[in-house]
Amino acid sequence: MSTTVDLEAEVAKLIVESLHLEVQPAEIAPDAPLFGEGLGLDSIDALEIALAISRRYGFQLRSDDERNHRIFASLRSLAAHIEQHRTR
Amino acid sequence: MGRGVSRSLTLPAATHAGWATQRERGSLGGMRLMARLALRLGWGAVHWLLYPVTAYFLLFSPAPQRAAARRYLARALGRAPARRDLFRLYFTFASTILDRVFLLSGRLRGYEIRVSGLEAVQSRVDAREGCILLGAHLGSFEVLRALAASGCPVEVRALMYEDNAAQANAFFNAIAPGVAAMVIPLGRPDTMLRAKECLERGGLIGILADRAPHGERTVPVPLLGAPAALPVGPHLLASVLGAPVVLAFGLWTGPRRYEIRFESFSERIRLDRADRAAGLAASVGHYAARVEALCREHPYNWFNFYDFWQELDPPCAPADATS
Repeated sequence: MSTTVDLEAEVAKLIVESLHLEVQPAEIAPDAPLFGEGLGLDSIDALEIALAISRRYGFQLRSDDERNHRIFASLRSLAAHIEQHRTR
Repeated sequence: MGRGVSRSLTLPAATHAGWATQRERGSLGGMRLMARLALRLGWGAVHWLLYPVTAYFLLFSPAPQRAAARRYLARALGRAPARRDLFRLYFTFASTILDRVFLLSGRLRGYEIRVSGLEAVQSRVDAREGCILLGAHLGSFEVLRALAASGCPVEVRALMYEDNAAQANAFFNAIAPGVAAMVIPLGRPDTMLRAKECLERGGLIGILADRAPHGERTVPVPLLGAPAALPVGPHLLASVLGAPVVLAFGLWTGPRRYEIRFESFSERIRLDRADRAAGLAASVGHYAARVEALCREHPYNWFNFYDFWQELDPPCAPADATS
């Protein structure tokens, strides 16, 4: 459990840094929506997050993945996807 | 350092929703009928209908829409527009809608389409480099699609909202199957991943970069003498992907006459990490300057029939942006 929480914190930091957000990583609620309502990110933000993830964790997020809506739904779902697919 | 480009400077969604519904209502009645007739009878038999259709638009379009069109014309022409000018603007718009039917279904006989600056795109296509084409609601984007359909060796996609003009699109898709497949719908988490993958395959991505209808981030830049809030998204996308940008406009120059103009815009939009906002504003400003030049050259090709400069409903912009 603690590794998941650690990864969530790490991904939150990655999001805040790569998007130059003014919030603190700890302020991103793990279950809150990242896009639209909630943090209010848009699809260019999603692209930047995807690029940052591939640099840090060594795998590509692809557009043909039908689970993208779920993957990008919240910090928790994004971290869970990274946990499954990371190569580093 | 914050994101810099304020999200509060976005255009009020209501204005644009208003525009969308207005345009749908106006174009779908007469124009749909006209398009069906055009397909059966040919351009020559129906083009005279453009005069009554334009007159209908002018008489029955909402007063605020006409007022906005007049304010635009005053800016582009540098004088008070006459009734004739307003007619020409609406006539040009109606003409491009009629032409869509022919352009999208590949019936180009009788059309004369001049292309200038093609080398700006050709070199990218040859090198399979991929590039972003920035257009505007200036003239006809369909004529660009027609060009793409007539032998572009790489994938061409358009980034746009599906909901806007969805009905009209359904109609045109019936004429030109495959056009829908060209669209990468905006507003989904993986929209830009799809754009990225298209560019990686050496494809071209077309974006109309003059409107921000769904509250996207914008920045006020000078356009025809006053600040206009233009979207930063297309420029940010180009920067994030490191993609070269070429401007692309399909200008209506007369009945069945178009000039497609390509212009190199940037090899790569480089944004200083510390001051992304300034870099973005500079790129958007550069784009606005090119759009302005084309508005002066082809003033009747502007199809943003709404309060584009937010003259009636100014946003809470910083003082320097509205003065």
